[in-house]
Amino acid sequence: MVELKNVDVHYKDGGKSGVDALHDVNLRINDGEFVFIVGNSGAGKSTLLKLLTREITPTNGRVFVNGYNLSKIKKAKIPYFRRSLGMIFQDFRLIPDMTVYENVAFVLRVTDKSNRYIRQRVPYVLNLVKLNDKAKFKPTQLSGGEQQRVAIARAFASDPNLIIADEPTGNIDPALSYEIVELLKDINKCGTTILMVTHEHDLVQYFGGRIINLSNGSIAFDDVIGGEDEGE
Amino acid sequence: MRGSNFRYLMKQGIVSVWHNRMMSFASFCIIMVSLLLISLCVLVAFDISIVIEGAEEKNEMLVYVDDASEEQLVRIEETIKSHPYVAAIVFYSKEEAWEDQKAEMEDYAELFDALHENPMPDTFRVTLSDLTKIESARDVFAAIEGVESVSAPYDFASVLVSLRATLAVIAGAMLIALIIVCIVIVYNSARTSVFARRKEIGIMKSVGATNAFIKFPFFIEGMFIGIVAGAVSWILCKLAYEALVSFFAGDLTIWQILGLVNVIQFGDVMWIVLGANCLAGAFLGATGTVLSMGKHLKV
Repeated sequence: MVELKNVDVHYKDGGKSGVDALHDVNLRINDGEFVFIVGNSGAGKSTLLKLLTREITPTNGRVFVNGYNLSKIKKAKIPYFRRSLGMIFQDFRLIPDMTVYENVAFVLRVTDKSNRYIRQRVPYVLNLVKLNDKAKFKPTQLSGGEQQRVAIARAFASDPNLIIADEPTGNIDPALSYEIVELLKDINKCGTTILMVTHEHDLVQYFGGRIINLSNGSIAFDDVIGGEDEGE
Repeated sequence: MRGSNFRYLMKQGIVSVWHNRMMSFASFCIIMVSLLLISLCVLVAFDISIVIEGAEEKNEMLVYVDDASEEQLVRIEETIKSHPYVAAIVFYSKEEAWEDQKAEMEDYAELFDALHENPMPDTFRVTLSDLTKIESARDVFAAIEGVESVSAPYDFASVLVSLRATLAVIAGAMLIALIIVCIVIVYNSARTSVFARRKEIGIMKSVGATNAFIKFPFFIEGMFIGIVAGAVSWILCKLAYEALVSFFAGDLTIWQILGLVNVIQFGDVMWIVLGANCLAGAFLGATGTVLSMGKHLKV
């Protein structure tokens, strides 16, 4: 579960008055939801994600994610909190020296899983994203869409409660964007909460669901809309 | 941590030496050259110290005694021996001195025959363990009843004492400077290496790796490079030191005059040098790498 209560984020700007990145944001996302976060550049999307991954702390208010109070969490606990999340980035962020298999297995190494578990889990998630045959490839040998599928497999490998996808379709062929969201929808059906930031309105309209629109650091719209794919 | 994951991290550390081979090679060269200079500097400093020690040992005080009975000579010897800085004492009788003198000047035998009495004094040749005490010892020995006079090479002694002190300062300063330069260069080289991999570190942080988990392979990598650099510097040190010794050994007279016969033979200390170089290399490599990671771990 994700909950923000009266959250303000103010960036100081040298001696000037600074910038209000988020202003009095109240938000609750329940377990198992699939939420699109949309908004123009500078609307506060990146700041919101940084708050949810505890890269920054709010100037005011409280942030709760997966049972952790991120306003008060101790530094030593942050890695353990992050293990309860899956992160997907626009630029994939795969480790170039590692193979596809090793990139996915790495998350499980971090959480101190046994070799036996890793040997079972990694092929399972790679099969889920249909990349079993490319397990021994390096990220540079894959297309953008394939790299993003590896990133999705990595995010899902540790079976997190929440996956945060930061513009996951931003760097790939538009035709493949639908495939990526479909994949995230499939993972959501397993009970994982998905929070996807995007600026692709076509995609949002096509899939529908809960949409949160950020504008000038505040929530301008938070509602559920019907998608075009529902009739298909 | 599970044993399998520990082994995995160890392997990652070794593998990344190859993956980042350019940076690894740069760190290796810096550590290797620094350790070579440091170990050579230490060996040469010890050698110079040994040479000075040898010269000091040859430096004797002569305690001349008036005509004295056997009992008096024993008493004087006991008194000199009881001085805390006396390392050795040798009695040189007036008869021995007389015979030696005659042998040395055999062309003037008539001159000696003309003398009816032996004019040479009984002498104690005294070596001190600490040359800085030469003046105070002279005063003590001169005050002993029956002692006629004491002769000591004060100037030579004071040159040796100040030479030793200067050497200690120069060697110490050089060592400290080399170590500081080495740490700074290794730290900077490691920082460049870590900076090149900051993205990788960021990814590790984002998936929930602890700082210790991220640091460990870097630690192993730095340590591995340091140990290899230590071993190679040991081989080069052996070659350089032996070449240096054989260069000076070419002129044996200088060696004998300076008492250089006792300089350190590399074979006698090779395992100590190897151990010290590998340990220092591991320490420099590992700490340089881990210290340089600080900023990139704050994500």
